[in-house]
Amino acid sequence: MLVLVGAPLAAQNGGGAASRLAGRVPPAALPAIDSLIAAAVAESLPSEPLVQKALEGSAKGVPTDRLVNGVRRSLLQLREARVLVGRVMPDQQAPEAHVAAVSAALARGLAPAIVERLLTVAPNEPPGPVLHAAADLVAHRFNPDSAADLLVEAHNKGLHGMRLLDVAVAADHELQRAGGRTHADALARVRALLPNVPTAEVPPAVTRRRTKGS
Amino acid sequence: MMAMSPIDPGLQEALDGVRDPGTLPMDLREAYARLMGAANLLQTLPAVSVAARVMADIHDLKPERIRPGPRLMRWLARPRAVTLRLRPAWTLALAAGLAAILLISTQSTRSPIPGPHQGVAQFVGRFPGARSVEVVGSFNDWSRGSLHLRDENHDGIWHGAAVLPAGPHEYMFVVDGERWVPDPLAGRYVDDGFGAGGENSLLIVRPAQASLDDDATLR
Repeated sequence: MLVLVGAPLAAQNGGGAASRLAGRVPPAALPAIDSLIAAAVAESLPSEPLVQKALEGSAKGVPTDRLVNGVRRSLLQLREARVLVGRVMPDQQAPEAHVAAVSAALARGLAPAIVERLLTVAPNEPPGPVLHAAADLVAHRFNPDSAADLLVEAHNKGLHGMRLLDVAVAADHELQRAGGRTHADALARVRALLPNVPTAEVPPAVTRRRTKGS
Repeated sequence: MMAMSPIDPGLQEALDGVRDPGTLPMDLREAYARLMGAANLLQTLPAVSVAARVMADIHDLKPERIRPGPRLMRWLARPRAVTLRLRPAWTLALAAGLAAILLISTQSTRSPIPGPHQGVAQFVGRFPGARSVEVVGSFNDWSRGSLHLRDENHDGIWHGAAVLPAGPHEYMFVVDGERWVPDPLAGRYVDDGFGAGGENSLLIVRPAQASLDDDATLR
């Protein structure tokens, strides 16, 4: 059965964080979390990542001190992300979506220097896909600078958005091919394919009933 | 109704045999002779029933020769009365059954259609012996009860699908309502930030409707 799950309604409406947290966050943690969210709002940072982190920790039953620290850590990452975006877009206010995407990339362990380089390539495009593609490559132990080189070249050859994720998938597939390739070989192979890397299959919107043995 | 003319008494006596017909006037003698002739004729005819005569006529009829094609067309075109006798109880049961079949077939083919900024996420996990598995994540505010996986075959493979907004989503499986487990097939993981080494699974949902831009790069 296919379930429709939209974005949280309150998030769509920019609804109040307090009402979403009430009853879900432990009362002992609520004042500290409220103040962290208020700080984010005052600094024009996106508050939704903090709300999500508070809801996540509460659902998991994380102890109060660790819950508050987790939300605080998210706020620090948002601030760092805003600095990075500000360097790339010095003449305008950092878009919240850019800040949230960069913060997520930092949470995935992408080095700030790599993030900044990738932001510079196309500062006005949504940075999420290219940053996740880079994080995917780094997670598969590709050299971060070589991975960034490949993604920059892919972008320059016309690949944008989700298609940049296909570049990371193609590199991983090359790495896993029989015979064994080095990471450098795999990157070279994908570079030779650009911009015609295979497109990842999008799951169809139909209900498929599993049968035994399938 | 036409009135019957009374028979002359003298003629009646002659027909009854009590009077000599020769004594009748001329016109009555002629009437007597016609009536007696008719009576004699009836006595000499063989006794054949109406039914026997009708059957004999049917036998005499020659069948009309029609080729199979036109005969079939005539059979199809000829209106026929069909009488259907139904008990109300059975009729209602039949209607309910047909409605149920229609509803099930409609529901099995109807799925939410992803919008331009939505995609389909499929979740699969192997949890033998689990009583329930659900997916909890940023797409449902980390709340329980909105996305349950199913194991129809009872083979320990739990699966489900959801239409989600395109983009990244952190999530975890919750097994039996209490055990939080990262999706072993996610391929992407991210530190949950709570300092105990916990990791969330990371899913990047692609829009179901690929942009023309993406297609153009393939050419």
